[in-house]
Amino acid sequence: MTLPKFDYVAPRSVQEACQLLEGGGGGARAIAGGTELLMALKNRQESPGVLVDLAALPLDKISYSDEDGLRIGALVTLRHLAAHPLVGAKYPVLAQAARAAGTVQLQAMATIGGNLCQNTCCMYYHRAAGARQSLDPCLKLDGDLCYVVAGSAQCWASYAGDLAPALLVLGATIVIADSHGEKIMPLRDLFSGDGKRPHTLGPGQLVTEIRVPSAASRSGGAYVKLRQRAALDYPLLGVAAYVAMDAAGTTCREAALALTGVERTPVIVEEACRLQGEALTDGAIQTLAAAARRRARAINNVCGIPVRYRRDMVAVYAESALRRARDAATH
Amino acid sequence: MERTIALTVNEESYEVTVRPHWMLVDVLRDRLALTGTKKGCGGGACGCCTVLIGGEPALACMTLAIRCGGRHITTIEGLARNGTLHPLQEAAIAHGAVQCGYCTPGWLLSAKVLLDRNPAPTREDVRAAISGNLCRCTGYRKIEDAILAAAARTR
Repeated sequence: MTLPKFDYVAPRSVQEACQLLEGGGGGARAIAGGTELLMALKNRQESPGVLVDLAALPLDKISYSDEDGLRIGALVTLRHLAAHPLVGAKYPVLAQAARAAGTVQLQAMATIGGNLCQNTCCMYYHRAAGARQSLDPCLKLDGDLCYVVAGSAQCWASYAGDLAPALLVLGATIVIADSHGEKIMPLRDLFSGDGKRPHTLGPGQLVTEIRVPSAASRSGGAYVKLRQRAALDYPLLGVAAYVAMDAAGTTCREAALALTGVERTPVIVEEACRLQGEALTDGAIQTLAAAARRRARAINNVCGIPVRYRRDMVAVYAESALRRARDAATH
Repeated sequence: MERTIALTVNEESYEVTVRPHWMLVDVLRDRLALTGTKKGCGGGACGCCTVLIGGEPALACMTLAIRCGGRHITTIEGLARNGTLHPLQEAAIAHGAVQCGYCTPGWLLSAKVLLDRNPAPTREDVRAAISGNLCRCTGYRKIEDAILAAAARTR
């Protein structure tokens, strides 16, 4: 597969990159790992006039302190993240999610910032250019109809990034830079809820850093992923769970549950906060898993997998993730 | 728009004039005549085009050549030294882990990355390390055996 032609610039600073992206309007795209963007170019889903290469920006470090918590540069690769001893020890849910994304090679190329900014998925959008010619373009391809939800004026493509649910259960914030400076916002505010344009970033805005609060003692996390093959595939469903226990290890101090691959944004299961102050019994975990099943509204936009199965698996995978998180926190 | 970049491939220096939309796999094969790197799916799924960039595995069909200026690249041609095959290559032959040969350069380089970091891998480690390399001939068992044998030999 060949690429369409484009110009290429490699800025040396975040400020310069933001100015180039802003000045390029809709015709400029940032490239980090490139694992998703280049496929979109090959499939002629996108045709930017210029690629702004972020590789030279100083955003490839991981640091940790008890005061500031974990700080991850947006250009840290998933492989670097997963292999980092401190991440594996203090934030296992994050290391597991990074290892679950793509393949070894893709993990070595793809960045955490790029993963968070991953486009939404739909079987009508993610098709080769030739295959798409048999149908009029859908909403996501700037057409005016949706093949998944007939008659809908909205795009229902699903957000299927692996890292977002793990970072959401950890309470992550992100740093957004533009030509005027930078701001910090909760990670959840990065996602717009629109399948067509799933992120809230404006032109010239970049995610530059991901911040995770310092790790609590007696805490544990887990990420479990449903997919067709054990490597490569996007999640049909991904579930991240996090729990922190009290000093005695018997009562839950904090619990969080988030899903990916089911809706147009990552889904935060707010009912998890009801576990605070409770004993994490199997029954309490099953009640929360059932709430996650009711909360998640997967739609039929993945080829070959009945949507009912994906919905039913929410409770199964949520229970599994919560049990693992509990076991990690109490051992 | 063209740009001349300096590439170090298998410890040899090259200057190549590339256009921004050229893929590394095409530059390696068509400009540098290093045809050991194979082009399979062209979409990041099969792992046939795996090379090492700065010692890390990368898919040459998903890498823009223009981004590789100044980088050290290892292709399958760089695995043998002075006419002597790498232990992984010898083990691949000894264990019949090569049939059509198309996926072989890719998984050999994935295996090299594994053994460089983990000289005593388990079979599960091997499976994880080559999970991004599809083989449609051997069924993986012989590939796993070869990598484990090479690991045992080089320890």
